[in-house]
Amino acid sequence: MEVVLAIVIGFLYGGGLYLMMRRNLIQLIIGLGLLSHGANLLIFTAGGLRKGGAPILADGEKVFSTIPADPLPQALILTSIVISFAVTAFALVLFLRTYQTVGTDDVDELKETETE
Amino acid sequence: MLTLLSIIFIAALLAPFVHRLCPKYTGAILVTAPIAMVIWLLKKIPEVGHGHPVTESFQWVEKLDLELAFHLDGLSLLFALLISGIGSLIVLYTQGYFKGHPQQGRFMMYIIAFMASMLGVVLADHLLLVFIFWELTSFTSYLLIGFNHNSPDARNAALQAMLVTVLGGLFLMAGIIMLAGAADTWRLSEIIQRGDVLLAHKNYLPILILVCIGAFTKSAQFPFHFWLPNAMQAPTPASAYLHSSTMVKAGVYLLARLHPALGSSEEWTLILTTIGTITFLLGAIMALGQKVLKRLLAYTTVSALGAMIMLLGVGTSYTIKAMATFILAHAFYKAALFLIAGGITHETGGETSVDKLGGLRKAMPISFACAILAGLSMGGFPPFFGFVAKETWLHALDHYPLLVGATVIGGAAYVLVGFAVGFKPFLGKMPAELHAHEIPLSMRFGPIVLGLCCLAFSFFTGSIGHNLVQPAATAIVAKELEVHLHLWAGFNKAFVISLITLMIGIGLYCSRSFLVATAGRLGVLVKFGPDAAYQFLLNGVLKFAAWHTRVLQTGILRDYIRVTVLTTVALVGAALVRAGGFQRWENLAPVSIRIALVAILMISATFATVHSKSRLRSILSMGVVGFCMAILFTFFGAPDLAMTQLVIETLTVILLVLAFHHFPPFRHGSKKRTRATDIIIAASVGITISLLVLAALHVQTPTPVSDFYLEHSYKEAHGRNVVNVILVDFRALDTLGEITVLTIAALGAYALMKLKPKKEEGGE
Amino acid sequence: MTLLPSLPITIPLAGAVLCMLFRRNIRAQKGIALFTSFLILLTSLTIFASTKDGTIAVMNVGDWPAPFGITLAIDMLSSVMLLLVGLLAVGVSAYACFDLDEPRMKFGFFPLMLILLMGVNGAFVTGDLFNLYVWFEVLLTASFILLALGGERAQLAGSIKYVTLNLLSSALFLAGIGILYGMAGTLNLADLAHLVKDGARGDLLTMVAIMFMMAFGIKAGMFPLYFWLPASYPTPPAAVTALFSGLLTKVGAYSMIRMFTLVFDSDPEFLHGLILVGAGLTMLSGVLAATAQYEMRKILAVHIVSQIGYILMGLGLFTELALTGSIIYLAHVIIVKTNLFLVAGAVNRLKGTYDLKKLGGLYSERPGLSLLFIISAMSLAGVPPLSGFFAKITLIIAGIQIESWAIVVVALGVSLLTLYSMTKIWAYVFWKPAPEPLPDLDPMPKGQWFVFLLPMVGYTVISIAIGVFAGPVFDYASEAAAQLMNPQAYIDAVLGGV
Repeated sequence: MEVVLAIVIGFLYGGGLYLMMRRNLIQLIIGLGLLSHGANLLIFTAGGLRKGGAPILADGEKVFSTIPADPLPQALILTSIVISFAVTAFALVLFLRTYQTVGTDDVDELKETETE
Repeated sequence: MLTLLSIIFIAALLAPFVHRLCPKYTGAILVTAPIAMVIWLLKKIPEVGHGHPVTESFQWVEKLDLELAFHLDGLSLLFALLISGIGSLIVLYTQGYFKGHPQQGRFMMYIIAFMASMLGVVLADHLLLVFIFWELTSFTSYLLIGFNHNSPDARNAALQAMLVTVLGGLFLMAGIIMLAGAADTWRLSEIIQRGDVLLAHKNYLPILILVCIGAFTKSAQFPFHFWLPNAMQAPTPASAYLHSSTMVKAGVYLLARLHPALGSSEEWTLILTTIGTITFLLGAIMALGQKVLKRLLAYTTVSALGAMIMLLGVGTSYTIKAMATFILAHAFYKAALFLIAGGITHETGGETSVDKLGGLRKAMPISFACAILAGLSMGGFPPFFGFVAKETWLHALDHYPLLVGATVIGGAAYVLVGFAVGFKPFLGKMPAELHAHEIPLSMRFGPIVLGLCCLAFSFFTGSIGHNLVQPAATAIVAKELEVHLHLWAGFNKAFVISLITLMIGIGLYCSRSFLVATAGRLGVLVKFGPDAAYQFLLNGVLKFAAWHTRVLQTGILRDYIRVTVLTTVALVGAALVRAGGFQRWENLAPVSIRIALVAILMISATFATVHSKSRLRSILSMGVVGFCMAILFTFFGAPDLAMTQLVIETLTVILLVLAFHHFPPFRHGSKKRTRATDIIIAASVGITISLLVLAALHVQTPTPVSDFYLEHSYKEAHGRNVVNVILVDFRALDTLGEITVLTIAALGAYALMKLKPKKEEGGE
Repeated sequence: MTLLPSLPITIPLAGAVLCMLFRRNIRAQKGIALFTSFLILLTSLTIFASTKDGTIAVMNVGDWPAPFGITLAIDMLSSVMLLLVGLLAVGVSAYACFDLDEPRMKFGFFPLMLILLMGVNGAFVTGDLFNLYVWFEVLLTASFILLALGGERAQLAGSIKYVTLNLLSSALFLAGIGILYGMAGTLNLADLAHLVKDGARGDLLTMVAIMFMMAFGIKAGMFPLYFWLPASYPTPPAAVTALFSGLLTKVGAYSMIRMFTLVFDSDPEFLHGLILVGAGLTMLSGVLAATAQYEMRKILAVHIVSQIGYILMGLGLFTELALTGSIIYLAHVIIVKTNLFLVAGAVNRLKGTYDLKKLGGLYSERPGLSLLFIISAMSLAGVPPLSGFFAKITLIIAGIQIESWAIVVVALGVSLLTLYSMTKIWAYVFWKPAPEPLPDLDPMPKGQWFVFLLPMVGYTVISIAIGVFAGPVFDYASEAAAQLMNPQAYIDAVLGGV
């Protein structure tokens, strides 16, 4: 099943980048969203898929009787989800302000620093 | 030596302050530093003359074997004396020349710092140290040439001089590092004893060429000579000092210094003699048609430097003696003439053209007297020291008839220039519009002392030869030799040639107006000269830079993403090819149907996100992708993750939906071809990432860290949910960072919405 | 166990929190920021003193032994980077107190600056791969905001490129982390080095290494990944650009050095060869792009790229001497470049423009400022005996030693063009008379002017001192390079010899 997930990850990266290569600010941010989905799924997949239970001890148990899923990638992804959310939200505000200030949502037109 | 050098450097640093405190005596106070050096050097003459060099060494950068090592032998002594002696006179001269100039203090600072650097070049015994001082002379000369910074010509000349000499410096840098590597030491005094090793070394020729380029740029050899006449934009004290008697001789010094190490090959002779002779003749011929005082002198300086290189290239003990004598003679008459030329320009309110000057003998008698001495010495008239040098020179070239021919032509040109600068401005009728005064006292020291030297040295030829020339020549050829200079060596071949030269020279001077006119007509040739090549090259680089920047920095974000992505794919691909493809493909777990379904849903949602023309549909499809991820997380034992993903995805979608109304609908479509290219690029990334993940999955590894967590999270951290324990305990620092990001992102979003530039509020 | 290694993270955090508490009180914020900066410098000096004999300061956060918890490990390279951050913090915050406009201060410049420093310090001290990612995000988020703060057109347009490309970098970084974890089952750098050396699959490792090279390459501003830099750096106020130029790309370069000496040293022929090629192209492309500019701040900003090339050159050559050169270059360029931006800011404050064509005459008007500029500019161009000379010549010698001629030629040529760019600024801004008289916008009284210049004087003195005391500097850098070339000591220190 890793093959399937690997392919999905590929699609997420590819799709995200394709969107980022469009001229529209909204598409740019959606693209970034797909990209971070891809990254999270990649950690999840590459970290080793184990069809065990959740890494949560049932009440009364002191050790895991069966090997649960790897908890570490989960923790990493949790951190990364929150960080991407924060950054995406900020980026959204930034894009909005840019649109209001510069008056265009066309990414190609934002080139004054280079061409001035 | 280090102490004295430091004192001179400190004097330079103090110059602006000294000037501010007592502007009238700045020169007199500061000159004590170089004079101390002169006295010390004079005291060392006997010791050095007997073959006992003075050495000194202090550790500087141990790991780089860089020492503050100094070595005073005959060659260093000759140069150091000229540098500090003439330098002292220049400092005094500057006092009068820049009287009342607000930036006099700065000029003093630069010129004294230059002096110290130049002394460093000739005294240092460590190649890197030589290079350090060498670069410092380039830099200080930049500041000096551009001193009249309001003039664009001065700024350009400064830049040109610096670029050319620093370019040479880079070659030199590479050359000396290789030289040190080949000789296995940085010490010059040791390198010159390893000539055999070097000659046999595989890098000998590259080293020779690199060092030569360095020396040639500095010493204005063809085809790098062009910067020197242009550098006449510098104030006259700087020209007199840097561009006649000191800095430009740094290259000559370096090659002379390395003569024992590199000089015993045919390549050496070939390169130096050819380039030297070309420069010698070119400078002399170019000088013939000049009208401006300083340019006349500048071209003959180029020529003289060529002569020195030529004599060094021939490399017999005779030519080397001649070279050392000529260095001495040239330094005196050339510096004197420069100072006189500067005095004339200074006192006539800025007149620089020879042909507009005349009859100054009454107004400036002292200058005239000095000019006669220096001008005749330059022409090589007996009994001046210039004559002595020329005799030695001609005598040394006895077996080189071609070079003797060149010398006749060059020598004749020197006669013309000597007359044009030494006599022409003073004789004849004074043009009516010209007003002149004698130069002030402080400016007189230089011309008088130097002018007298031109004459007086001829009467002490024995002592000069023995004490100055012989030790220097000995150091250059690295074997014992005797030098006997004579004012009158008898009525021999050399004397006859000398007479012929003088005759031709006088003839040339008489036809000077014709020569100037011819030169004017030939002026178009400049377009094909190295000066034009320099401009062409510089402009070429600038144009290329502009083109490069236009092409690469399009300002379009999408281009940047494309380049980034393609680079990644290409390099990962290269690594893949290098590895010879993936090695193993086994070990795949079977695909279950529910996962396949979710996967298909995700892929379709991704497609929808990418493809949709509606913003809302696009956003919602992205949300579907996120929700599918949550489902996947639950399949593989990550309920916490699934919960978080759900919440965050919902929030993101809500935010986007709220925001998108503020944006216009999608309207900037791309061309079909662009889209197709982008699909290929995106697909290549997707495939690369997929392959990487697949490859990673085949490495069966233990998970020691996770196992530790599973075992210890309850026992030691008292948490049943291992993921939570990791977040708040095992890897709490990550969480701290995460919270920080969240907080400042909120802060930033707030600031961004609230803080607007003033212009905008005004209704822009 | 001592808490010392965590202080570079906690002190700026505490300062930032305090600043946020005093939101409305700018004077208090200034005071807090300055005080915190001094504390950062003090801490880094303490750490520097305790690691300069080669000891590696290790701290296991939460007392979980490595590789299970997050380990902070400070070797000599980290230590010198921390020291530079401290020096930068003090100078830039002092400068900002003077120069920055009030609205920006009100909207959180100081807390953001301190958080940025926290992120940077975190990246320098951490010994954990994922934690490195987290610190990257902290400093990036802070820099996003600092860059956009003020909301001017150019700032926003630049920010979009900056944010997007850096997020792309993060995505590559995460991908690399995921795969590496999948391969090794650990995130501790020392542990990774250990496991990787034990013979994990080399081919895959090389490919993952490329992912990291790209991720860090974008952040460091390597060719052809640097385009966000010229788009964004010249847009915010001088204090912000100075901070960025000193720190952000350098964190990328640092991480590259760390990863490619500690973890990815299995295939130097390919990987380091690639870095070397990248380094050459980076320095060349950067300097050409700078040559094409006619705006003081842009020239300086684009030049950063070129200097990154020199730093990476040392890594690419991958010898002890070469890394020594890289470390000296890092230290040199952080100080000198920051200083040049501050000088540019001062020029802008006086004349209200960065445009070379409009400026002029400062050589006569402001000799002090001119002196500060020319020393730093010449140092950047590698004129001896300033800091840049030793950095450059060490790299050149290292290149010649292993006969890597192409990079030597490029490095020498680029240094000539650097000199050209610097003299261009000098000739236009300082020497040339102003085309139209530009009255001083802010004629400060003499005492105030001097205080304003104080940070610049400090940095100039440091640049000279690095040259004059090149002996000890070189000793230190070569020790640090030796540590990098022989990572066993680092691994042992972190894993306790496991």
